[in-house]
Amino acid sequence: MRRRWFGAAGAVAAAGAVVAGVVGIGTASAQPQLPPVSPEDLVASVMTAQPGPFNGTVGIDNELGLPALPGAPQLGNGQQSARVWSGGDGKGRVALPSGDGEKTLVSDGTTRWVYDATDRTATRSTGGAPEQKDPQTDPAGASAQIIGDLRKTSQVAVDGTAEVAGRPAYTLVLTPQPSERTMLREVRVAVDAEKRIPLQLTVLATGSATPALQIGFDDVTFGPQDPSLFTFTPPPGTTVKDAPARGQGAPGAPDRQGPPQGSRTVGDGWDRVVVFQRPAQQPGRQAPQGAPDLNALGTPVTGPFGNGRAITTAVGTAIVTDDGRVAVGAVPEPVVAEALGTK
Amino acid sequence: MTAVLERTHAPLGRVVGAEVRWVLRRPRTLVVLGLLALIPVAVAIGIAVAGRGGRGLIAQVAGNGFVLPVVALGLALTLLLPLAVASAAADAVAGEAGSGTLRGLLVAPVGRARFVVMKAAGVITVAVLAVLIIAVVGMIAGTVVVGGPGSLITLSGTTLGVGEALGRIALVAVWTIGQLLAVGAVALAISTFTEHPLVVLACVLGGMIVFGVLGAIPSLDWLQPLLLTTGFGAGTDVLRDPLPLDGLESSSLRALVYVVLGVGVTFWRMARRDG
Repeated sequence: MRRRWFGAAGAVAAAGAVVAGVVGIGTASAQPQLPPVSPEDLVASVMTAQPGPFNGTVGIDNELGLPALPGAPQLGNGQQSARVWSGGDGKGRVALPSGDGEKTLVSDGTTRWVYDATDRTATRSTGGAPEQKDPQTDPAGASAQIIGDLRKTSQVAVDGTAEVAGRPAYTLVLTPQPSERTMLREVRVAVDAEKRIPLQLTVLATGSATPALQIGFDDVTFGPQDPSLFTFTPPPGTTVKDAPARGQGAPGAPDRQGPPQGSRTVGDGWDRVVVFQRPAQQPGRQAPQGAPDLNALGTPVTGPFGNGRAITTAVGTAIVTDDGRVAVGAVPEPVVAEALGTK
Repeated sequence: MTAVLERTHAPLGRVVGAEVRWVLRRPRTLVVLGLLALIPVAVAIGIAVAGRGGRGLIAQVAGNGFVLPVVALGLALTLLLPLAVASAAADAVAGEAGSGTLRGLLVAPVGRARFVVMKAAGVITVAVLAVLIIAVVGMIAGTVVVGGPGSLITLSGTTLGVGEALGRIALVAVWTIGQLLAVGAVALAISTFTEHPLVVLACVLGGMIVFGVLGAIPSLDWLQPLLLTTGFGAGTDVLRDPLPLDGLESSSLRALVYVVLGVGVTFWRMARRDG
């Protein structure tokens, strides 16, 4: 009898190995051989790349160490995936699935919709140039922005090749100049060798071997997309809202481009610290659901700027002063405090 | 009489038919199937009374009746459907052994392989019927009690016509049957090792709960690909548009491995069991 049980246990182990082999298909692969390219050419080709329509799955591995906010659990540490479709000309669709719902962002080039299935609300925003898509879900936009902004203060190098989402890619590495006082160690961008769009963005912080943030395609397919993907009609029973004009971003885009209005920046490059005034709470307006109470986060700090609370993450620091000023940068706390002191 | 004397073994179809009739005549099978039919009805009445509001997948049913079968199957798959299938598998071998009728079956002119096929057919019948009852009652309750626009509003905010909605419901039903067959195969394997049906039920339900707990522990996330319960949420994917197949495929593949494992152990054990 005992021997039979051992046999059964062996069969269980074997089947487990089969499952592991089937489900966890390894992504490790040899480095593809590609003709050498200079960083300048690579960046330029990224700036002008016309990848055409594509769709894919984007994986987000977030170890930024942001405080857990009840209203925005998707910003907390963890892994997420998103499905993206791009039709070119500002047309795009992003689906952020969750266990019991989905958030869908659709842009037809002029009108942008954010549909949240959990409470069946659709938020419409129109006008203006087609905004950059949510950098969290669009590695293309996020990386291009970072390359453009940071070339002046960084060492830029093409560090070999890699295979991302089954496609050969160049790895562009941005390292801060030694004089920069940033908490970031390295930013690596894998650029598709053929289509020249960024396939993966990896942010490494000082003092940690694992990436603080990695956004990249798990798979990507180039080719024509169904045009109906880029239109959105609110389904029956949906609460349709118009997004307030610029400033109040769509709920799906907490990391919208550009600092808020009335802000100033101190320093440049990797040292840049953004200082702005916290928007006053409007009594009549309902705060966004589960809006974070900044007063409860971080640790108290005092300095020439007065009193406040410092929120430190893996890649940056924010100080919220008691008089409502906020300073944020990818720098250690003293640099942020210093920026708050300058006028 | 002469026919019996000439035959060396019974035809498979007749054996399977007899087993299926035997399973379906058990009052407990009928009671379980009847109770499962109440799940979508209860959800529909709850939604109709409570109206809109609330979060979670159940809230998606409000004003969107075609979602009801999908949600009801998802709810039942967590524990009740595995319970129904496991009890059928427990009766199939352990129950017969416990009541002393297994010995008679094993000396009958039925090969051991045929015996396993026959018992598996009974379990499959219960799994298929249970899923179909929830899906059909869910569709009826969704249409009659909840109502809706006559189309399926997906989680992605798109609207699917009746034909495609029915296709999605059929897909989730087939997928759910696949997951249940995995549970049933493992339950049947356990059933061949004991004469106490309760042991089978305890093992299967305990295993489901342990799997659920293991899957919820973040530091054990490397274990997730091995756990059958990991893929149970994939049924929700039929409510997304365009339909993502990754989750449904990987969970079906995982279920297939469990089926192969369970059936293999069952054959191996029944070839040696003497009563």
